Amino acid sequence: MNAPNALGVRGTRTVTPVSYRARRWARTQLFSSPANTALTVVAVTLLAFVLYTMLKFVFVDADWTIININRRLIFLGRFPQSEEWRVWPPMWLAMGLGGLSYGLLSRGSLRDLVWLAAAVVFILGFLAHGMNGLLFGGAVMFSIAGYGAGRMAGNRPQLRPRLGTVAIVGWLLIIPFTVILISAFGGVKPALWGGLLLNVLLAVIGIGVGLPLGILLALSRASSLPVLKGVSTAIIEVTRGGPLIAWLFIARFVLPAFIPDALQTDVIVNAMIIVSLFTAAYVAEIVRGGLQSIDKGQVEAAHALGMGAFHVTFFIVLPQAIRAVIPALVSQMIALWKDTTLFAVLGFTDALGGAQAAYSQSEFIGRQKEALLFIALLFWSVSFGMSRLSQRVEKALGLGER
Amino acid sequence: MIDRALDLELGFGFLSGPGGFNFSNQWLTGYDSNDSRLGAYGVGILNTVRLVLIGIVLTTILGVFAGVARLSDNWLVSRLATLYVETIRNTPLLIQIVIWYTVVFLQLPKIADAVNILDVFYLSNRALALPSLAANGAFGLWAIFLAIGAVAAFILRKWLLRREERDGESLHATTWGLALFVVLAVVTFIATGTPLEPNTPSLHVTDVGIRNITGGLQVSPEFAAVLIGLVIYTGAFIAEIVRGGIQALPRGQDEAATALGLSGYQRMTLIILPQALRIIIPPLTNQYLNLTKNSSLAVAIAYPEIIWVGTTIVNNIGRAVPVFLMIFATYLALSLAISVVMNSFNRRVQLAGR
Repeated sequence: MNAPNALGVRGTRTVTPVSYRARRWARTQLFSSPANTALTVVAVTLLAFVLYTMLKFVFVDADWTIININRRLIFLGRFPQSEEWRVWPPMWLAMGLGGLSYGLLSRGSLRDLVWLAAAVVFILGFLAHGMNGLLFGGAVMFSIAGYGAGRMAGNRPQLRPRLGTVAIVGWLLIIPFTVILISAFGGVKPALWGGLLLNVLLAVIGIGVGLPLGILLALSRASSLPVLKGVSTAIIEVTRGGPLIAWLFIARFVLPAFIPDALQTDVIVNAMIIVSLFTAAYVAEIVRGGLQSIDKGQVEAAHALGMGAFHVTFFIVLPQAIRAVIPALVSQMIALWKDTTLFAVLGFTDALGGAQAAYSQSEFIGRQKEALLFIALLFWSVSFGMSRLSQRVEKALGLGER
Repeated sequence: MIDRALDLELGFGFLSGPGGFNFSNQWLTGYDSNDSRLGAYGVGILNTVRLVLIGIVLTTILGVFAGVARLSDNWLVSRLATLYVETIRNTPLLIQIVIWYTVVFLQLPKIADAVNILDVFYLSNRALALPSLAANGAFGLWAIFLAIGAVAAFILRKWLLRREERDGESLHATTWGLALFVVLAVVTFIATGTPLEPNTPSLHVTDVGIRNITGGLQVSPEFAAVLIGLVIYTGAFIAEIVRGGIQALPRGQDEAATALGLSGYQRMTLIILPQALRIIIPPLTNQYLNLTKNSSLAVAIAYPEIIWVGTTIVNNIGRAVPVFLMIFATYLALSLAISVVMNSFNRRVQLAGR
């Protein structure tokens, strides 16, 4: 009990290891040399300044009524109130699937729970309001249930792969489901989509159309037919040659002139087509890298087994190629999610457009900070969540380690 | 609504007509609304190029610092760098630019009550005035001497380097080359009679009682917002590239350099970064191209770069097809220029060690 035990058996630690370790840590990490000490001082000052400014702003100086009053504008834009119910089922599904994926991939650390709790507090604190509170509460319940199911499956080997399949199929089906539920059966036409909902739908449609189209472009670029190869190379390179904002202006100024009157659609539909093509071009380049990383032996072995060209491409080469480029594809999805804000430049009321409309109201002049930081946080949390999830997927698939 | 026929009309004849609009930002030019549309587009190109060139230089510096800081032994410094990268990378650039513009630069006081720092910096919501140097008539002569000095310094350094390699002893080739250049520059600067004069901004009251800032280098809040937004955003991506490049090196490189007694700074600049550069340059080139394309977001706060000029012309007279052809040709040319420069640099770095 009194003698320090070298083996560290429980109950015999009479020295105060925590403070000792803390001191040693500080000495080696923060004050190992005069230069290092100076760096520490600078870093602490900077950190203190940033923290003080942020906290003082968030809790003292800021007036968040601009968000409370304009919640609808920022989240839904001009989406008709009577059709609002169409938004909820996809949201519940997405929250449940998000929780399930997170639970399946997590190692059950305390950090996960802290993140989830922070997300719940954030959602309830800012978004919930009256009747919406119940519906949001439902979304939170779905995500918690999904997370719980995913975590529980971690201990049951026979359940885990099945739930994994459910998650993957769910994510694939949620895209058409969302688009159909919102627009079909007397739904809301795209010109009325707005707010953060518009950003989400643009990203979802962009990736939903862009991913398969990009894979096809990559395959045709790798093809041995010169015409197919030439055309797809030209499409990819021309698309990547200009910035997205130039393409969006083309959707507005040029495209309508080329479409016959009978087929004229809203500018926003043109812009969606353009965003999907733009995404496809970038996806194609990523997938091409994956295709090039596949060993020739794989194709030869598959041919030796008597597989035809179609089978070799879609069951041997493509799955391996896509698996190798998952991190890059997620980066592209994050880039697309962030790029959906460009629709505000075109004059659409997406989340950024909604925020700008909110701070041009006469009673909220001078409240730009609150509105812009709020939507910045919204976009940040989705991007950050996606990048964390992709790191988990990489680890689960064992990418980058052989 | 623009007439469809006008949109589909091809040909570039419209470029000779008067632009009919003015620029809030001009650099090296004196465009006014009677000048041709081609001239207006030229001003747009200059505005884009200025943004891209300054942006690339600044973002590289920031990115390398942040990337090295992420690997710092100092826990606090590496955490701070991580915080920077994770915050900036995951927030849309457009929102960041709008925040810099509306929350920071437009909130500066009016020009009459400009923030005055030491009588040389004036910050206001119409212009940020910084001290600069103004060239006078003797500058041309001095520039010739500067070029001669640069060549001489280059030759001296080459010669010293060859002797270093022969004798295996450090002769501080770069330091001596630099010293020769500086001495030549200072001597000819005095001999030609101060070709550059300090040009500090000052606050004036005009005859009609309006206060105004004259002199110095005046930067518009639009330019400042886009530049800072681009630099900070791209810097976060470059930091990750630099970190990845350094981490890809075998640990033995750093350990061997430590065993040879090199200091932390020497290890970084002589051993680690030159080797990491081989891995870093291709994705770095990609980031430069991204910065070039992202400079188009400046249109959101009406900084007059090529997209702004192009869409203004289209709004005035249509002709969308030729205008967007010009825009794409310009981005293509810029991207090609950057790729050519970076590829030649890449080839030199790759050859150096192999």
